[in-house]
Amino acid sequence: MDDVLLSVSDFVALTNQTLEYAYPLVQVEGEVAEFRVAQGKWVSFKLKDEGAIVNCFTALAQMRTPLENGMRVIVVAAPRLNNKGYFNLNLRAVKPVGEGSIKKGFELLKAKLEKEGLFAEERKRSLPRVPKRVAVVTSTESAAYADFIKIINERWGGLEVEVAHTQVQGVPAPDQMIRAIRYFNSLDSLPEVLIIIRGGGSAEDLSTFNDEPLVRAIAESRIPTLVGVGHEVDHTLADMVSDVRAATPTDAAQILVPDRQEIIRGARAQANSVGYLLTQAIDNYSRQTKDNLGVAFARIQQKLDDTFERLGILRVAVAQLNPENVLRRGYALLRGEQTVGAILEIETAVHIIKAEVKDVRSK
Amino acid sequence: MSDQSKQENKSVQEKLTDLSELVGWFQGASFKLETALDKFKAAEVLAEEIEKDLTKLKNDIKIVKKRFDSEE
Repeated sequence: MDDVLLSVSDFVALTNQTLEYAYPLVQVEGEVAEFRVAQGKWVSFKLKDEGAIVNCFTALAQMRTPLENGMRVIVVAAPRLNNKGYFNLNLRAVKPVGEGSIKKGFELLKAKLEKEGLFAEERKRSLPRVPKRVAVVTSTESAAYADFIKIINERWGGLEVEVAHTQVQGVPAPDQMIRAIRYFNSLDSLPEVLIIIRGGGSAEDLSTFNDEPLVRAIAESRIPTLVGVGHEVDHTLADMVSDVRAATPTDAAQILVPDRQEIIRGARAQANSVGYLLTQAIDNYSRQTKDNLGVAFARIQQKLDDTFERLGILRVAVAQLNPENVLRRGYALLRGEQTVGAILEIETAVHIIKAEVKDVRSK
Repeated sequence: MSDQSKQENKSVQEKLTDLSELVGWFQGASFKLETALDKFKAAEVLAEEIEKDLTKLKNDIKIVKKRFDSEE
């Protein structure tokens, strides 16, 4: 090439062609310095280590994780020489690495989304108690998926499950999951629940679920979301933004459907309780009937007693009025006309006497 | 459609609701001893059907054919 004379523009173009051929994409790890956002659209920073420094450039819209100076990141980028003679890494992806940087990226994005109200309780929708049709986004090759299906099959039946197979870690994972979420949300008949699951992994593996566009896609889902990622102790922005957070994929299955054995036990208990209520009602009725009969008998008895008492009094009164009793006391009964010369009949207790009237005077 | 086939076509959820309503009837003001035995028998049948339905039902799991590794 030393005998070929190039213009500056040709040299830049040739260099870029060579770079594109030799290094279409490179992955470089370093520390972020001089992080800047220009015109609210363009992001630039320097990636450095102890021995060297390189410029990095991208559009703000392509940034999936907030950055800060001092964070350790891996960038996936195309090396380019620009027309002003500056060598840049044109970024395709930036991923925090190392526990400190991942945590920092998580905290920055969490604060940003929290400010927008994406984690607010009032946004949370409840899931149907017994859904009929659900959608799952996960890797169908994972143990987490196998566990999830095993648990829902054990617990429930009659559920229609549509599964979108995606990667759940690595650079392509967030976009694949976003496409799957959008696919289910575009269906004419929406599933009742959208479940996103992944088993445990390193902080770096799980950082897929702290990807800003993925978190926003979950927040925007028209279908209520249930997210179970990692283990109990793992918290990702995806599960924080979801309508319902499950601690693990197994927990997601338990939240999603009731346990049929519990329902069978409950139904049996309800039928038994109806039997008990029926027996109780019969007992109550028979006790009430007995009580009522008792009251009726007591009333009849009372009435009879009253009547007998009255009868006794009347009998005494009648006895007192009996003329025989009066005659026995020495009185006599007189029959006939009270005129002089008339014959009268006189009845005493023991005799009937005939007598002539000799005189009649007024008293 | 007969009452029996109507009952058979009901979902587990509907049958669970029916069972709860029956329990409610026994505890409510409309309770009548004359009809209680029939209602009790109905509750037992419902509980049996719920158990049978739940035991035989299987989930239908389908993997979506569409690929999500690139924009179409």
